[in-house]
Amino acid sequence: MSGVVVVGLFEGIEKAEGAGNALRALPLAEDRITTLSSMPLPDGSVSRDTRRILFPRVTLIGWFVGALGGVALSLGTYLLYPLITGGKAIVSVPPTLIVTYEVAMLGALAGTVVAGFREMGLMRFRTKLIHDPRIHEGKILLCASVEPGNQAERAIAAMKAGGGIDVRSEEGEL
Amino acid sequence: MNPKWAMAIDLDRCTGCGACGVACSAENNVAVVGEAEVGKGRSMQWLRVARYWDGEYPEATAVYLPVPCMQCERAPCETVCPVYATYHNEDSLNAMVYNRCVGTRYCANNCPYSVRVFNWFDHKWEKPLDEQLSPDLTVRSRGVMEKCTFCIQRIRRAKETAAEEGRGIRDGEVIPACVQTCPPGALLFGDLADPHSEITRKLRDPRRFRLMEHLGTEPRVVYLKRQKGAGR
Amino acid sequence: MNGVSSQGGGDHLARTDQGGLYRELSRSNLPATKRWYAVVGLLSLVTLWGVGCFVYMMKVGMGVTGLNRPVMWGALIASFVFWIGLSHSGTLISAILRITNATWRAPILRGAEAMTAFALMVGGLFPLVHIGRNWRFYYMLPYPNSRQLWPNLRSPLMWDAVAINTYLLGSLTFLYFGMIPDLAIARDHATGWRRKFYTVLALGFRGSHNEWRRYHVASTIFAILIIPVAVSVHSIVGWDFAMAKVPGWHSTIFAPYFVTGAIFSGLAGVVLVMAVLRKVYRLERVLTTVQFENLGKLLCTMSLLWGYFYFAEFLTVWYNRNPEEWEVYRSYGGDYLPLWLSMVVCNFVIPFPLLCMRRVRRSIPALCFVSLLVVVGMYAERFLIVVTSLARRNDPFIWHNYFPTWVEFSILAGALAMFLLLYTVFAKLFPIMAVSDIQERLFQATDRVVGGTTVESIARPEASGEGGHG
Repeated sequence: MSGVVVVGLFEGIEKAEGAGNALRALPLAEDRITTLSSMPLPDGSVSRDTRRILFPRVTLIGWFVGALGGVALSLGTYLLYPLITGGKAIVSVPPTLIVTYEVAMLGALAGTVVAGFREMGLMRFRTKLIHDPRIHEGKILLCASVEPGNQAERAIAAMKAGGGIDVRSEEGEL
Repeated sequence: MNPKWAMAIDLDRCTGCGACGVACSAENNVAVVGEAEVGKGRSMQWLRVARYWDGEYPEATAVYLPVPCMQCERAPCETVCPVYATYHNEDSLNAMVYNRCVGTRYCANNCPYSVRVFNWFDHKWEKPLDEQLSPDLTVRSRGVMEKCTFCIQRIRRAKETAAEEGRGIRDGEVIPACVQTCPPGALLFGDLADPHSEITRKLRDPRRFRLMEHLGTEPRVVYLKRQKGAGR
Repeated sequence: MNGVSSQGGGDHLARTDQGGLYRELSRSNLPATKRWYAVVGLLSLVTLWGVGCFVYMMKVGMGVTGLNRPVMWGALIASFVFWIGLSHSGTLISAILRITNATWRAPILRGAEAMTAFALMVGGLFPLVHIGRNWRFYYMLPYPNSRQLWPNLRSPLMWDAVAINTYLLGSLTFLYFGMIPDLAIARDHATGWRRKFYTVLALGFRGSHNEWRRYHVASTIFAILIIPVAVSVHSIVGWDFAMAKVPGWHSTIFAPYFVTGAIFSGLAGVVLVMAVLRKVYRLERVLTTVQFENLGKLLCTMSLLWGYFYFAEFLTVWYNRNPEEWEVYRSYGGDYLPLWLSMVVCNFVIPFPLLCMRRVRRSIPALCFVSLLVVVGMYAERFLIVVTSLARRNDPFIWHNYFPTWVEFSILAGALAMFLLLYTVFAKLFPIMAVSDIQERLFQATDRVVGGTTVESIARPEASGEGGHG
């Protein structure tokens, strides 16, 4: 969400929840309200996460891609360089399984990193992100992505009424 | 048809003189490491004459067992080399590729006969000993494994000569250095694929056994058991 | 679920001064003192000495070690197995304890994960150190070349390469990913070059609700992935030995035996490292007897497990008296008696009874003593497995003993110094305490009045079925 974001610092979850309810009553859609906090808040305590978490599917895809890589590494090298060793078959199955498994796990790991970072919205260095370092003093930053103008003013009023400190409107991404 | 090289060692004839080991070292550019290093367990001999004591003093007798590389059909050393520096070639020999070896020494650990030796240092042949080095083989650098090859350079030479003359290799044409030197004639080398070769006939002997046969390595070196009693 | 329990008072985080908590937990990140530089200097010297001896060994040949035929693998390989084993600490604590929701692990998380990563780095060097032609190590890498040669993936050493590589990348990822919220906190508190440093590393993490939810899912996925990798890595290291035709090595029990031993030594390592950190950075309030007592309980279990596995292996060989294997075991009563005794005494005879006592588990000096014994005993175990089986293998004519030379001792010392150096520098530059996890735990803890007493109650958001999971 980009554009205008109304933010306000709140002491304690109860105040933040109250203000959140006031915002929802404006009305404001659930996916436009979120919090910034120093430690994770349970889902639904102040805001609710409405989007599905999709990156675990990439973990699975990564696992299979890795498995393919592992098979290529072991089976491929056996077939590309067929030397008889120890009277064993050229295509040795148990070592293939071991190597396939290891590379598959590597693939799953890599997939999780890549997709997880993307879905978390990390590494967006060039965008201006909404942030307030005072959340590390035990405060919660309640954020509402609003239309500029009337909705923004009502949101500011709702937050101030709920006990918000330093309620302001900012430009940036959530 | 590819030959199946094998060696027969008649323990009735072996006197434990060790001439085979000396000949092997001379033929194959094997370094002489000196008494101190051998004391540390670093003898470089490709063919060792193991000696076991039978009985207690004063009735103790020595049993001699020349141990070359067994050239196992199912060589355990081959599977564990991470770089394919040792593999089974078309002559059914266990081939050793010196310039591929990175020196992990896993093959030596996996050889139950402990026939593989490692180059712990670079070796120098002081003048004029360097003139005795055979040009048919390399001199191995430090960090490389080596072992008995059944004198593969002699096998190759015989193959080339036979190919030039448009014939097969005759029985008795390939003689490894140890076989050539053994004074009592305890060692015999030949092609088991040839039904008329001397080795095929010799190995019909019921005295035959293989070392550590229960390990399933299928060695190509066959021993003939020593028989006790006078005059035998 | 809200933060106020109607029965007792707010959550513990609400009554903590978060700024003060951060300052306490991040003491290690304060600018370096003379003492720090002195320690780093000493460790660097020892590391350089070790590296120098390695270069000497590379130039002159492996003969400068005590290795011989038949003991072609010695202290260097024992150290390799030892360091890879030590790396199982972090995986156990971060991953397994995370999945079982053991909240007490929060203060030791980072330290244990860092130990894993650095132990793997140090351990992974040993295969390069111990090979005869180190400069040709790349023959073991699968790269296309003009001679169309490829490595042999049937060899357990290649399984080692693949597995340790995966585990190293995995544990580094795990370490870094776990640090991201803490790096964000550090970024927000930092000034100067540190602020830039943490800004880049924190990747823009701000603690938004969406970020936290996905962070939790990703952390759980990493934990689930890293555990089988860790088990497989040390199984594969054990299979380096079990695949061989060496009597005393060729045993089916080696994979689980090695994994157990790894977790055992890893736990002991964590206790030692955490005790040092606690002392040096005055973290007594956070690293309490709770952490150490629980580590002590785990250590007790692993000691028993190790004893069980070892006895099972010993029993099968002893009962069967297969001559090839029995010669190896007979040497335990002969030349290798001191080594064998150290192993059994330091791994089981002393630690297990001591660790059964609550008094020992709650005393950090006592626990450190036991952990030190375990570390020594586990090294003796690795050495015993590697060396004695080779020294008394099949052909008695070539039996030979082995003792490391000054070159090997130097390399081992250099490896230890390298590990400590990496750890010290890491603790200086990065958050060594998992601040966000500690805060999360404080947030989840409330005081609940039950009848006439007050108990601590821990909230479990995951258990109460929140929706919205993908």
